[in-house]
Amino acid sequence: MTKDVVLDHVSIRFGSYTAVDNAHLSIQGGEFFSFLGPSGCGKTTLLRCISGFVQPTEGRVLIGGQDMRNVGPNKRPTALIFQNLALFPLLSVAENIAFPLEVRGVSRKNRRRRADELLEMIALPGTGDKKVHELSGGQRQRVAIARALAADPDILLLDEPLSALDLKLRQHMRTELRAIQQRVGLTFIYITHDQGEALTMSDRVAVMNAGVIEQVGDPKTIYNRPRTPFVASFVGETNRIPGEVVSQHGTTVTLSTPVGPLAGQSGGGRDHAPGAACQLFIRPEQLVVAGDGASPNRFAADCTAEEFEGSVQTLHLKAAGLPLRLCRMNAGNVAVAGPGAGALTLSFDPEAAIVLPYGTEADAAA
Amino acid sequence: MTALRRIFSEMTSRHGLGVALFVAGAVLFWVLVLVVLPQIAMLDYSFRHNLPRAELGGPRDAHTLANYRYFLFGNGAGFNTLDMGVLLKTLAAAVFVTLLDILICYPIAFILAHSASGVGLRLMVIGLIVPFWINEILRAFAFRVLFGATGVINGIGQALGFWSTPVDFVRADVALYAGLAYAYVLLMVFSIYNAVETLDRNQIEAARDMGASWWRVHWRVVLPIAKPGIASGATMVFMLTAGALAAPQILGGPSNLWFTQLIYQWFNDAGDWQRGSAYATILLVVCLVFVFLMMRVFRVSIAAIGR
Amino acid sequence: MNRTAGGGLFSLGYALLFFAFLFGPLIIMVITAFNSSSFPRVVPWECFTTEWFGVLIANQRLMWGLWTSLWIGIAVVALSVPLGLAGALALADLGPSWRAGLYAVLITPILIPGVVIGISTIVLWGAIARVFGAGYDSVIFNGIFLTLLGQVSFIASYTMLIFISRLQRFDSTLTEAALDLGATPGQAFRKVLLPFLKPAIGSAAFIAFLASFENYNTTVFTILSGNTFTTALASKVRLGTDPSLSALAVIIIALTLIGAMVKEADTRRRERLRTGRMARAGVYASPLVRLVAHPAAVFILLGALAGLAIWQGGRHDASACRAEILREKQETQQRLLREQQERMRQFQQQSPAVAPAPGNNPSPFGGAFNPNSLAPPAPAAPPAGANPSPFGGAFAPKSLAPKP
Ligand SMILES: Nc1ncnc2c1ncn2[C@@H]1O[C@H](COP(=O)(O)OP(=O)(O)OP(=O)(O)O)[C@@H](O)[C@H]1O
Ligand SMILES: [Mg+2]
Repeated sequence: MTKDVVLDHVSIRFGSYTAVDNAHLSIQGGEFFSFLGPSGCGKTTLLRCISGFVQPTEGRVLIGGQDMRNVGPNKRPTALIFQNLALFPLLSVAENIAFPLEVRGVSRKNRRRRADELLEMIALPGTGDKKVHELSGGQRQRVAIARALAADPDILLLDEPLSALDLKLRQHMRTELRAIQQRVGLTFIYITHDQGEALTMSDRVAVMNAGVIEQVGDPKTIYNRPRTPFVASFVGETNRIPGEVVSQHGTTVTLSTPVGPLAGQSGGGRDHAPGAACQLFIRPEQLVVAGDGASPNRFAADCTAEEFEGSVQTLHLKAAGLPLRLCRMNAGNVAVAGPGAGALTLSFDPEAAIVLPYGTEADAAA
Repeated sequence: MTALRRIFSEMTSRHGLGVALFVAGAVLFWVLVLVVLPQIAMLDYSFRHNLPRAELGGPRDAHTLANYRYFLFGNGAGFNTLDMGVLLKTLAAAVFVTLLDILICYPIAFILAHSASGVGLRLMVIGLIVPFWINEILRAFAFRVLFGATGVINGIGQALGFWSTPVDFVRADVALYAGLAYAYVLLMVFSIYNAVETLDRNQIEAARDMGASWWRVHWRVVLPIAKPGIASGATMVFMLTAGALAAPQILGGPSNLWFTQLIYQWFNDAGDWQRGSAYATILLVVCLVFVFLMMRVFRVSIAAIGR
Repeated sequence: MNRTAGGGLFSLGYALLFFAFLFGPLIIMVITAFNSSSFPRVVPWECFTTEWFGVLIANQRLMWGLWTSLWIGIAVVALSVPLGLAGALALADLGPSWRAGLYAVLITPILIPGVVIGISTIVLWGAIARVFGAGYDSVIFNGIFLTLLGQVSFIASYTMLIFISRLQRFDSTLTEAALDLGATPGQAFRKVLLPFLKPAIGSAAFIAFLASFENYNTTVFTILSGNTFTTALASKVRLGTDPSLSALAVIIIALTLIGAMVKEADTRRRERLRTGRMARAGVYASPLVRLVAHPAAVFILLGALAGLAIWQGGRHDASACRAEILREKQETQQRLLREQQERMRQFQQQSPAVAPAPGNNPSPFGGAFNPNSLAPPAPAAPPAGANPSPFGGAFAPKSLAPKP
């Protein structure tokens, strides 16, 4: 069984401080939905609001179509995996997992059986009698998931569950989490400040900044079609070139910039009046060193440094005083450019660049 | 009131109705029945006459300042210098004992926090605590054994020929001050220790590297950190010393009364509870005012007490 | 380098001095328990004896007080632990401004002098008893009941401090996790918070019992005409001392030390179990060492040692030695008397009207036996109204008694 979650114009204030500002979105049943945002932007607060520990100052939370206003955390069909896991240190692993069953009065024997099943599922059979502190970080992680699943929730809420793990384990757990989600078919609401995590696992992502949800969409849209400068610069690496609007034809906007006239797509399909101050975002991997052919958006730049990471090569460039980065796959042949290689000609596809006005608010959030 | 209700409902949603009721009931009982009401009763009593039972509630049972007047002026004209002197002496002695304890305990707290480690630290902590599991009366008794006219120190002193007639340490109050200082050492050590422990060792070393002298490091680096601990310990030691009864009774010299002993006499020897209450109120108020003044002067808050 | 070494030496020296100050009086007191001299002292050493333990146990009042103290202690624990817990929980859930206020209120009982607490308690309940027309011997106005209330009012503050420091280490997300997993708030409290507080409950109970057992200042008022162990002890110390009190100290110190060692063995064992070092640490690999280091084994071993000491002590007979000492003393006394008379004769020849022999002076300690060789000189002639003896009358100076 899955239930959808609706945030109906939810605002959460602590005194005069607004932690969540007018969040309005709906999450479908069975979806893997992520909230992505920098530290302190209100992600945890929003999650605690869904699970019932914080009441919205304004607006409503609906789960399965039901208003959750006076429903306590223990009555909601949600299970939260805390940022610090919150496993009970005095209980054994099996007792931790069986806790939701214990408080419901399930008999000791059935509790133990279910705990063993779940341990099997998270690939930790036979660890039921260990104490929590005898497990490794990744194992604890999985125990926390098993404990949440034992509560038989419709919606699983995960608060940066992987942030404490090392890189390898984190990558492993990502696939594992996704696999678990597909196997049990629950709604997962996942919080992270790691964009890689959000993009790889989620069906949809909401990007938050300072309490405001700036954009909701599937990972590709978020990455390729950011609707606000914040989304453009927070998700993935990007180059920013300021400019002034010259003209707009359909969604294609032409700017005059310090490096010359450049064209890109208007982010969020906005219309820009000529002369308006705007900025153009272009991803490092979309910049190419141009050959002699007639490519659009050509401009000159100097290479100041080169980073070689094996499969990827990064060039640090400077064009009309603007720092830029260019990324490309290592083709195995001799480097075309390096520091002191003189002026290069760069270009990019106008389809890949996004033009956004300054200071766009969450007007694109809905 | 609404704030209280909100707190109560928060508590209910956090720990359940049973726990919230228990907490509210218990705290109310504690604060009202055990702390506030008795103090009010004592205060009220201190403004009454000592009447025989039959006259209670009668016309003569009215409020009066007589008990406080007695403290100030005694029976006749002129000031009651005897009782006021006892109070002043008690306060001065309590201050002296407190200072003594600070002096004794600061180094040991520092050593505990920054020089000792491992087994040594464990042993020292146990060695600090164990003597204080032993009855307060017995500890005072130990000092009497030590300092009495036929006590150990006189015995040894005379046997070794340092002096020929016993020195009266009791009359000189040496025994009393030593005993009181001893009695509250533990409180002081742990108060200071808790504060000093938070100091980063590197800070001391950094100061030393910069060439600061040993004294300077303590004065400029350690002492500011230790201050809340010292204040908390000093408050407790002062209050306990000023309010001590057993040690002055056991170790006090004959011509030397502690203010609590006066109170005790009004109650137990004279049977005048009203005047005793008045004297107890005076002790309480004077001590609290003194402590709050000191806290003001040294800029520490009551929240630091008991940490 | 030099400075560190100097500091280290200073630290060591100071620590040694400090602990000598802490333990010196106790050690000396312990030694006096075994000297047959009827005033507790170390020099001159008379005979090794264990009779003071017998004297102690024969003291009816003390033993009866012990019994009362035990009951009061248990009741105080039963009341002050829940009260302290309630206070700590209330503080944990309040906002900052309320918390500061309530903390100040709940911590003041520690600061209020014990005598004030005792007095205010009996005054309040005396008034209540009068209102209800209950006599001065009813349940309301009963020494044990009042002592209980008086002691709980400030011992609950001690237990509260213990709970506060434990609660500060509590991760409140654990309670939230329990709620989130479907537990009712009550269940979360019982199954998560309470088990976490269990060690604090133990130490709070211990501290509460100790504080109750030790308390004098409050109890001496609230117990009314009765006696607890401590008040009985105090009145004994005030009225005259003999080494049976040292004997008591020996017993208490022995119990304390045994307790401390068992506790230490227990904490170490727990720590090893927790860190899983038990198997790895070389010493503990040996099953014998592991057995001996077990707290129960430590307890049994120390208990057996104490038992042996008691048995041995019980068989010791110091009467022969005592008789010898007595004879010596009488001889000295006679000799002194003769010398005295000699001096008196010479003295009277110079000034015929002079005070009685100094040997007849009342001893400062209420007639405890004092050999003449060490008898203190008569106290200087007291000023009018002051007390003739350093201790005997200090507690009821006539000059201060209210005039009728
Ligand atoms: N109970 C509270 N009272 C007051 N302010 C709060 C409270 N809880 C959170 N805040 C504030 O709300 C803001 C958002 O906090 P939140 O914990 O939701 O951040 P977050 O996005 O989860 O950050 P992180 O990635 O670091 O976990 C923070 O500035 C925080 O200080
Ligand atoms: Mg967070």
